[in-house]
Amino acid sequence: MSAKPESIEQIIAQKHIECLHRGFHVWPALEYGKPPAMGDSRWTADLILSTWMQAETGQPPSNGLEYRTGQSGGGFDVLHLKFLPPEHWLADDAAIDLSIPLNRRDYDRQIRIPVPFYGAGMSYGSISENVMLARAMAARKWDTFTCTGEGGYPESLVSYKDHVITQIATGMFGVREETIQCAPIIEFKYAQGAKPGLGGHLLGDKATTTVAQMRESVPWVSLFSPFPFHSVYSVEDHKKHIDWVKTINPAALVSVKVSTPTDIDMVTVGSYYAGAHIVQIDGSYGGTGAAPEIAKKNIAMPTELAIPRVHRYLVAEGIRDELVVMASGGLRTAHDIAKVIALGADGAILGTAELVALGCTRCSNCERGRGCPFGLTTTDPELQRLVEPEWGAARLSNLYQSFQSELRTILRQLGLQNIRDLRGRKDLLLYRGDVKAS
Amino acid sequence: MYGVFSGPVGGFAPREHLCVGCLRCTTQYPEFVRILPNPARSSLGDSYFTPDRVDTVCYEARSGKVPVKGAGYRGPFGGSGWDGLWTDMSEIVRPTRDGIHGREFISTVIDIGAKPWRVTIADEQPSRRPPQLLSIPIPVLFDAPPAALLTDTVVRTLATAAEATETLVVLPVESLGKSAPRGRHIVPLITGAHLAALQQLGFEPAMLELAGWDQQLFAQVQAQFPRSIVCLRMDLPSTDALLRAWASGVRVFHLLANYHGRGSDGRFAIDLFREAHKALVAERCRDEGTILGGGGIIAAEHVPKAIICGCDGVSLDTPLLVALQAQFAGEAVRRETSSFKLPSRFTVDWGVMRITNLMASWRDQLLEVMGAMGLREVRRMRGEMGRAMFQTDLEREAFSEIAGYVS
Ligand code: SF4
Ligand code: SF4
Repeated sequence: MSAKPESIEQIIAQKHIECLHRGFHVWPALEYGKPPAMGDSRWTADLILSTWMQAETGQPPSNGLEYRTGQSGGGFDVLHLKFLPPEHWLADDAAIDLSIPLNRRDYDRQIRIPVPFYGAGMSYGSISENVMLARAMAARKWDTFTCTGEGGYPESLVSYKDHVITQIATGMFGVREETIQCAPIIEFKYAQGAKPGLGGHLLGDKATTTVAQMRESVPWVSLFSPFPFHSVYSVEDHKKHIDWVKTINPAALVSVKVSTPTDIDMVTVGSYYAGAHIVQIDGSYGGTGAAPEIAKKNIAMPTELAIPRVHRYLVAEGIRDELVVMASGGLRTAHDIAKVIALGADGAILGTAELVALGCTRCSNCERGRGCPFGLTTTDPELQRLVEPEWGAARLSNLYQSFQSELRTILRQLGLQNIRDLRGRKDLLLYRGDVKAS
Repeated sequence: MYGVFSGPVGGFAPREHLCVGCLRCTTQYPEFVRILPNPARSSLGDSYFTPDRVDTVCYEARSGKVPVKGAGYRGPFGGSGWDGLWTDMSEIVRPTRDGIHGREFISTVIDIGAKPWRVTIADEQPSRRPPQLLSIPIPVLFDAPPAALLTDTVVRTLATAAEATETLVVLPVESLGKSAPRGRHIVPLITGAHLAALQQLGFEPAMLELAGWDQQLFAQVQAQFPRSIVCLRMDLPSTDALLRAWASGVRVFHLLANYHGRGSDGRFAIDLFREAHKALVAERCRDEGTILGGGGIIAAEHVPKAIICGCDGVSLDTPLLVALQAQFAGEAVRRETSSFKLPSRFTVDWGVMRITNLMASWRDQLLEVMGAMGLREVRRMRGEMGRAMFQTDLEREAFSEIAGYVS
């Protein structure tokens, strides 16, 4: 329960918060049916509502909401897991290990996360500080990670630093030596799935004084991160970047976030030889605070198609077991996570699913005026209040719990004790091309 | 927040046009507020030019801007037609963002015409008429609308918009009467039946277009307009006819699918453009001529995709009408049989502004795609199929080992 409101603004805000929380509770219960204008083919109303429910209860819904797949007519939505007949399932109490290492080389720091996912980069400015805090709190509770995105490292995150990945992107916004020094993992963002090859984009309305201060830019002026890194002309130059951060923080692991061009296999191999521990393959259907619509659909391939290519190439190169491949870009459910691992990833990175857990309706208005009307992708001080960090952390934690329990069930029904044994097991998938997009 | 409930009587008379569909109201007050999809919207366009596409073109024509939105992609995974193709990006190659914002130059100029490798001399005379070549700053032309829409206002609007954007507009020669606009940017579309109208044209167009192959007409037009390009309009698929016309001296082709992007054999333009392009590549003459593709190009992303599939440039049909707020009367599949209802009154200035905005928006979006690919010149994008990813190929590679997958 939050502190007693004092001002009239706080009373009004509190009223709104209560009503919103009630809405997040009653809609998934289907008391009023499903909101008729909610959802799209990727994130159906069922998926949004079931994510709300999981964020509240920590369990998948049991009231008929389809919480496993969407209706996009392709990718994850036509892939199904090939479960064993029930008599071959592992026992309910079988020990199932969902942990994955984030460094597969036999040198440098060893980090292991107990669930095969962590939070995607979302910048200060694209989301509110409260949302960043909620994500960091949940990451700490689950001993996993969240990522700053490109926009600086608010002071309030420092106490969660062991669970915060610092991102260095092409605009270098908010990149400081001390934040690199305190990060267990440093992420170089070469490209982002939702706007591949186009750099970041923060619209002027969201570049408030505090955001601009953090980014060392001019308030209320749109910020376009350049593309690409102006210090990189070849894959070899990437090694220079890694050497640079390793000089500042020798203990950090290095992650490389790339989009999905035709030569994604080569890019991954190049990143490995440059010294990266993790490569994040960010498919084209991922989330964003703002991106040209033309880029979201048309440039670069979806992660479902990129991961098998990367996996096969790394296997052929004989380096698959030395690199951690994390998939992102449109993963919505525990089933998506299991499928992408079966396609060849080690684990998954979640962005939009977390925002949906916090109340996102996928309305696409993040970039408009004051930003998100639910207080998520906004820098407006009034709207930010709608997400209290503790409430947000509890919702995310519940979602993680539900994903954890669902992943355990999936493994049990596949007869596997270890999520790492699922990697690259395409034989455990079934393609159902007759499922059409809605 | 968006002013929907901020009118004098608040929620009793919501200002629906301001609603952006965020669903906050209905989330907070499920018992009082329902947000419903607008039924009128679902009747926009037709089965190919979907309501979403109509919305996008209208936004582009209104604002001249690149549509930018938050959250990720919301549509189907891929699909038939243009949706089954993704363009490439480069993690490290310039120009990209610098070019998109004008700090580095990305050229969208294309050349239309014949580019022979050499001039052959016979009897001390060049064996062919001198090559004609023209450049336009955007790889987009305007195609002729259905005959029923060729009013004076529409003709003037299209012609003035083509002039303003320095491109070309194809207009039936019979619509270019005495009071019609004149200028090199107007491409008369001619059949043998309209030779008389051609005699009275009164200006020298940069290009003329034959409505179909007619050897005699081709020679006549070449003789009458020795400094103009003569283009041949052909329905897809057209490979054999194209090669025959090439042998007869045609160097510029306007290949057309129907308004839904399909050829007469039912195949989609992607395959048909590729086939035509590859046929000229196989004949080792692709660089000597020009392919303009049209039919079913209704969104900004279709322009680079058609160019990747082998077109030098594209022509627009229904998007121009949608930009002018035309309503579809039923399915619009073929130019000859489709009908549209344009606003009862509009001014040429308004129409020109809408089409110019549309072109500005589409050019900027072309820059986004080229920037992501690391390409400085749209001419270099032509036929770059290695920089495109076809859904069928990628799925075969990714899923062929998975039970149940059928290519
Ligand atoms: S504006 Fe809409 S899509 Fe964006 S975060 Fe908020 S609810 Fe989600
Ligand atoms: S959905 Fe409701 S809150 Fe959102 S813009 Fe429309 S009326 Fe306003």
